[in-house]
Amino acid sequence: MPEPEALRVETLSRQFGGVAAIDAVDLAVRAGETLGIIGPNGAGKSTFINLISGALAPSRGRILLFGEDVTGLATEARTRRGIGRTHQIPRPFARMSVRENLLLAARHARAAHERRADREHCDAILTRTGLADVADWPAGRLPLLRRKRLELARALALRPRLLLLDEIGAGLVEAETRALIELIRSLRTEVGAIVLIEHVMDVITACCERTAVLSSGRLLTVGPTREVLADPEVAAVYLGTGEREPAPGAAPAPQGGRQSSVTPAPLLEVRGASVSYGGVRALRGVDLVVGEGEVVALLGANGAGKTTLARAISGAVPLAAGSIRFAGARIAGLAPELVTARGIGHCMEGRRIFASLSVEENLLVALPPEARARAAGRLEAVYAMFPALRDHRGKSGTAMSGGQQQMLAIGRALMPAPRLLILDEVSLGLAPIAVEQLYESLRRVRATGVAMLIVEQNIHRGLQLADRACVLAHGELRLAGRPQDIRASPELRALYVGEDAAATAPP
Amino acid sequence: MSGSGARPGQGGAARGALIALLAAVVLLALVPYLFGTYWQQLGFRALQLATLAIAWNLLAGYTGQVSLGTGAFVGLGAYAFALLGNHSAAPLPVLLLAGGAVPAVFAVLVSPGLFRLRGLYFTIGSLALAEALRILMVNLSVFGGASGIVLRAATPPFYALYWLALPVMVLALALVLVLLHSPVSLSLRAVRDDEDVARQMGVRSFRVKLGAFALTAFITGVAGALQSLKLGAIEPYGAFGMSWTIDTVAIVIIGGIATRGGPLLGTLLYVALGESLRGLPELHNAIAALVLLIVIRVAPQGLWGLLLRRPWRRATAAEASDA
Amino acid sequence: MHLPDTVTLLQAAISGLLIGGLFALAALGLSLVVGVVRIVNLMHGELVLLGAYAAWGLVQATGLNPLLLAPLAALAVALLGWPIERYVLQPVARHGEEAPLLTTFALSVIVQNLLVFALGADTRAMDSGPLARRLSLGSVSVPWVYLAGFAIALLVCLAVHWLIARSAFGRRIRAAAENPLDAAVVGVPVRRLYATTFMLAAGVAGLGGALLGMVFAFTPASGVEYLLTGFTVVVLGGLGSVIGTLVGGLALGLVESFAAAFLGDGYRLFAGLVAFLVFLALRPQGLFGRRT
Repeated sequence: MPEPEALRVETLSRQFGGVAAIDAVDLAVRAGETLGIIGPNGAGKSTFINLISGALAPSRGRILLFGEDVTGLATEARTRRGIGRTHQIPRPFARMSVRENLLLAARHARAAHERRADREHCDAILTRTGLADVADWPAGRLPLLRRKRLELARALALRPRLLLLDEIGAGLVEAETRALIELIRSLRTEVGAIVLIEHVMDVITACCERTAVLSSGRLLTVGPTREVLADPEVAAVYLGTGEREPAPGAAPAPQGGRQSSVTPAPLLEVRGASVSYGGVRALRGVDLVVGEGEVVALLGANGAGKTTLARAISGAVPLAAGSIRFAGARIAGLAPELVTARGIGHCMEGRRIFASLSVEENLLVALPPEARARAAGRLEAVYAMFPALRDHRGKSGTAMSGGQQQMLAIGRALMPAPRLLILDEVSLGLAPIAVEQLYESLRRVRATGVAMLIVEQNIHRGLQLADRACVLAHGELRLAGRPQDIRASPELRALYVGEDAAATAPP
Repeated sequence: MSGSGARPGQGGAARGALIALLAAVVLLALVPYLFGTYWQQLGFRALQLATLAIAWNLLAGYTGQVSLGTGAFVGLGAYAFALLGNHSAAPLPVLLLAGGAVPAVFAVLVSPGLFRLRGLYFTIGSLALAEALRILMVNLSVFGGASGIVLRAATPPFYALYWLALPVMVLALALVLVLLHSPVSLSLRAVRDDEDVARQMGVRSFRVKLGAFALTAFITGVAGALQSLKLGAIEPYGAFGMSWTIDTVAIVIIGGIATRGGPLLGTLLYVALGESLRGLPELHNAIAALVLLIVIRVAPQGLWGLLLRRPWRRATAAEASDA
Repeated sequence: MHLPDTVTLLQAAISGLLIGGLFALAALGLSLVVGVVRIVNLMHGELVLLGAYAAWGLVQATGLNPLLLAPLAALAVALLGWPIERYVLQPVARHGEEAPLLTTFALSVIVQNLLVFALGADTRAMDSGPLARRLSLGSVSVPWVYLAGFAIALLVCLAVHWLIARSAFGRRIRAAAENPLDAAVVGVPVRRLYATTFMLAAGVAGLGGALLGMVFAFTPASGVEYLLTGFTVVVLGGLGSVIGTLVGGLALGLVESFAAAFLGDGYRLFAGLVAFLVFLALRPQGLFGRRT
């Protein structure tokens, strides 16, 4: 008799507008196993969890929980059938106490209420998850790290048969990660099955027998964890190092930036930058310098802190410690529109094009009211840089292809003629051809003398244009130097795919 | 006291509060012996307002549904009481219960539609509903149209009204306090804090909202029935008017939303303010609204929250307030 | 309920459309505030009302025709709008969703009661003088003031539409309406924009009120009615579109007019509210979903 399956999804799909966030995924989780799910940014991992937990309804497909079809059930009904989940960004009931958060969950877990048994059950979980000392605090007062613990504790209070953990390992230091791994492993006997979405590979390798890889909404592969992590295709999806060499006869890919020996004058100086979300340091004492006209690549795995640093520079996120100077003046603490006025252009992650504005309007809106006179000239300059935009100037900003939208985003950031251009993950979600075209344009941008800070997950692309590069991990600066030195560094793979996997992977 | 809301060391404080409450009730019951008709009338009004505030606080403060339709329930309760009283020989308690039941049924009927609206849409929807009801009543001659209905029964003296309003308020308070100390309180507050996550934790949020809504409607309706009894005649503008909502919202927010004592403290302050501006009702309303403005900006947890100021309660404004 | 004859229906349709233009104007400000500044402005009705009272006051003071004074009244309300947004509403915006709502609620109560206190609760109306005469179009007749009001409303709506669709200011408004955080990163001065937008919204609302005051009588308690009218128009016509607001206004005008014709004048407002509630419940995105 086959072992019962805790979860099976068949042809599961979910569309948003025209985009398939999850595309025909077939996956099964065996009873008693812990399955990991990994994948780069935008792969659809959170959508997947939302589909299972009932927070989202699927466009197509079926979901079977321990053999029972729950596809049509509302969220609360699925919970009562035994699904418990944590949220990637913790959502505690802020004005209830920590204990009350658990008691609420416990109440709905069983058919007959035994109040005393509930309370004992919850207290045991509190002790186990290290929350016993704050049991009476209002949950909203907990720092981020403990809120993540509360997510887990609350999900456990439901006495779930299937436990879904959404990026519960993010932002932890080594000791905390080890403790989390212990905790997850101890749950094996109590919970029917666990699905673990993670970026922190240490947790995946330590807890999951099998791992599935999602990429662009599709299931790339699933299998024993060690094999999956060593699979070069999987590495390629994350690191981008598996890309084809350019066809023979084509110009060789340029190696890095200028090999000038003259150090340019510093334009942007970041010293000891730290950013906190709740009690967690998303950035810890990072130093970064970008010189006039220089191109610096900022690399690192997902969650390393790259976007946080970019946002701190442009003023969207406050600094907890450290300083940021631009052209000699302090800019930390200024509102985003003021930072832009100083000469920093920020091409945001995810493009953030205004759909209700046309291409030309998207460009024009980036000019401050005072710069009205220059508008025509700047527009011409940007159109010269990106001719495709001129062709589509009257259409809605989002009516173009992904690559063209990215060009629009870059062009928009260039409109106020910034001295420094921050490019955050511009190659995200684009086909390799489009990325090549994009980087061609960036070469032209560089030729105008604009300094650039290129944030990239994909090492190969990030280093294409760079004069210098930095690699972040866990919010800290771990590597810095010339592109060729970074590429050759043995630490690099470990920083992305996790120490254990890198150590045991075939060379 | 057991139940989800109890914390260690709180047992003593809770018992103390209960005793204080009982003592207050006894003192309040003595008012008609000690004071004349003016104070009895004022006391009636205060008790009535407190009842409304307690109910609204349950719905807005503890369940997170900010309704601006208090007038709808007051009016329905007032009319139900008057009509039933005029056309049947039912005794007073039954009439009062009917005054609560009719709005409660109405609440249940409109819930499926109304609760499709979340958050601010619900608020606007409730306002529109109350206004629509008022206009409807003005136009339906079977209910007396714009001139309303006159009650056949004689209006009882003020001390009798007072002694009716007091148990109504006390019962409302008791009912709500019991609810807040029961496990249902967890479900209510979970729906308030984050309805989606509440459902993810297994809470049947629609039922929870419906229950709170119906209970609020019931209590508010009984207060409306009292109004009917007091005036001896009711008409749509007064019964379904916006002033009920304005009074209630101001009282609860100034007193302290989502606190047990807030509605009571708020009523005291509101009535005191009204007395100091006797004869200038518009100024009273304007100043009360000004205080409301200031409280929202400066002390969103209300004055009760300020007074209590427990050490770990130094929560941010966003956490402590309903806003 | 009685079935009116064709002439009455035609009369109702025409008056309904003309008045609908005024409704659109009165709702335009709300559409701007809710859609751009993202505040459910419960004092909108009072802004409209202040426009009516300002015009009335100016008429009392100068004896001129209210139509001439309407722009002045609008300006007065607009000037009031700027400090309200900048000093009363912006500071509470960070306290969550409901704080601005309750703050505008409090403001509406203050305005309403100050009006009663200062000017009494009497019903007021503005005599449009020579414009009260009716223009005959066959068997149907319409007061000139309806036509004049409609013309002004249409002009202003189109002007605002042009402003939002074509000007640099309008570009910034649309960007901030779509995503204020992204707009700020791109360089749009969002907070300054909010104050200016609110001022514009208040001015338009005031103009609407001044014109409505020539058609309907008003009291200090009329604010609620204007508020709900505004929301009904916005829900019917869709948020975020000036043309939509215009269409919504015309639709509401027709609904109310026909309700009055079929059911009697008392049901005019009732029909509007029912339309509002039905639409609100049916639109799955509620009030705020513009683009799916």
